[in-house]
Amino acid sequence: MYRIRFHGRGGQGMKTASRILGTAFFIEGFEVQDAQRYGAERRGAPIFAYVRADRTAIHERGVIGRPDLVVVADDTLVPVSAAGVMQGIGPDTVLLIDSAESEKTWRERLNLQGPILVLPRLIPLEPSEMAYVGTECAAAAACLTGIISLASVRQAVQQELAYMKAGVVDRNVEIASGAFARMAAHSGIVQEGGTTSHHDRTVPSWVDLPADDIGESSPAIYGAATSVAVRTGLWRSMRPVVDTSRCNRCTWICGSFCPDSAIARGSEGYPQIDLDHCKGCMICVAQCPPHAIVAIPEAEAVAQEKEGAAS
Amino acid sequence: MTEARFQRMKDLPSTHLLGAGTAMCAGCGGLAAVTEVYDVLGENTVFVNAAGCMTLLSVYPFTPFRGSWLYTAMASAPAGAQGVRDALDILRAKGRITPEEDLQVVVLSGDGAAGGIGLSATSAAIDRGLDFIYLCYDNEGYGNTGQQTSSATPHGALTATDALRSGFAGWKKDLFAIWVANKPAYAATVIGGEPLDLARKLEKARSMDGPRMILALAPCPAGWGYDPEHSVEIARLAVKTGIWPLKEYADGETVHTRLPHPRQPVENYLKLQGRFAHLFEPARDEPRLKEIQDAVDAYWAPLEAEHAGG
Ligand code: SF4
Ligand code: SF4
Ligand code: SF4
Repeated sequence: MYRIRFHGRGGQGMKTASRILGTAFFIEGFEVQDAQRYGAERRGAPIFAYVRADRTAIHERGVIGRPDLVVVADDTLVPVSAAGVMQGIGPDTVLLIDSAESEKTWRERLNLQGPILVLPRLIPLEPSEMAYVGTECAAAAACLTGIISLASVRQAVQQELAYMKAGVVDRNVEIASGAFARMAAHSGIVQEGGTTSHHDRTVPSWVDLPADDIGESSPAIYGAATSVAVRTGLWRSMRPVVDTSRCNRCTWICGSFCPDSAIARGSEGYPQIDLDHCKGCMICVAQCPPHAIVAIPEAEAVAQEKEGAAS
Repeated sequence: MTEARFQRMKDLPSTHLLGAGTAMCAGCGGLAAVTEVYDVLGENTVFVNAAGCMTLLSVYPFTPFRGSWLYTAMASAPAGAQGVRDALDILRAKGRITPEEDLQVVVLSGDGAAGGIGLSATSAAIDRGLDFIYLCYDNEGYGNTGQQTSSATPHGALTATDALRSGFAGWKKDLFAIWVANKPAYAATVIGGEPLDLARKLEKARSMDGPRMILALAPCPAGWGYDPEHSVEIARLAVKTGIWPLKEYADGETVHTRLPHPRQPVENYLKLQGRFAHLFEPARDEPRLKEIQDAVDAYWAPLEAEHAGG
């Protein structure tokens, strides 16, 4: 059985990726399961979807614990433990990362035995095409199995995106074909994992803990606003930066419209943006009357900061 | 009644009570409304949260609130609120808390619970005269699970349940009218993108007793299909096109707090959202657009006639 997991951020089309790959397997005559992890859907938040495919009926259920292939659409997720990218990766698991960095870098960084591949993005994707990353990942994954033809992938893309505009579908087919071709040298690298059965499962040696009284065991939080310990600033791909020379110091405007309590009135009345929590929605950029807030790509801002710190 | 606290934008609080770091989507219009509401109600507020997007505000051990929060199933938030209110009343009667320490009990719920799954429990709570505020963030669908159709979904909108992608054939349920029919102490529609109007209404609601409802239209980038930066613009257009009337009910009378003038064509609001894109492309769906505009016109016609006459 093939067990494949797709990791990305909400909005990158991971659900679509699993559907396209699942349908491509199906066209090739496989029994298929494809699902997105059930839960809250948040744009920018870590998300995963998974596919199982086998030639006989699939009895396994639930999230894939031991994947044969893990596809990562956004390399910033690898160190985010809550994203669970590295979960269950064994010596035979292939890791495919969509990244600007090299395979060597990732090998050193992750210290993994199994094969690591980088999906080089040759076709430049526009920001508006973020959702197409899923298509690219699905096609690359299909190629790596070595048992799905390009024709099946193209048909799967057309089928799954049938509700979209013709131009969009064509563009996705083109992206899929490109990704498939770029992975050709590694076709067949992903090996099917064996079937597992609950009979083979070794029962853990449980330690019995007596249940506590409900008053003690029900979770209670006594601190105020503990959520500030969660750094949602990691979601951001664009950063708002205030140009104080244009700012009118009317922080009741930008401060009221920020949905994330991330703008406070700072010294001298200028807005102070809490970068640990700003999710990069860009509402403040759109609403500032004198256009005193500009949006710059987060990666650029970070690079500038590093330069500033070094010099 | 103390409406005087919020005269201008400048009077709005510049520090927010609600902590950052929540799991709401970037640009969430519901979170914007909850943040603004909490600022006006203050720390002495206990939230009883019906399952939905906002239940992810508090994920143990993290909470953005400065006081208590209780999580209930979708149908039972008003029952939870009753229990909390009763407990507070008992503490008051026994002298174990002072009037200053008493809490405002607020149900926080999405439109799925407010207008559908939890409606009968709400109706019963109003009948019993429960002293609480019911705050509904209306993102017009079951947003937390990927925007399935709810009873608040507007006519023509695409949702995840719409397999044929033809747009919702039904019409948005009028939850405000349902509340008003129950004769509550207060009911108002608000939107996060009009923070001053919201703050004034909350200030008024705060000073009253009995069942009170705040219905906030909640622009939802994820479910409505637009870039988060447009959340406030879309909120304003909802008001300017008249599709989201801002109004309040008290003492048996409904008053509009804003008369959009000139009222913009409703398509200015619709065309910014992916869920209505099929009304414009590949070809304009004139009959559908007219239906939607006609419904908005019919709503405002008597009010505009009265305004012109007076
Ligand atoms: S709204 Fe614009 S001008 Fe006003 S304080 Fe914020 S950044 Fe400055
Ligand atoms: S980009 Fe969004 S989250 Fe960040 S400060 Fe501006 S309004 Fe707040
Ligand atoms: S789905 Fe919509 S309502 Fe729910 S958190 Fe996201 S933006 Fe807010």
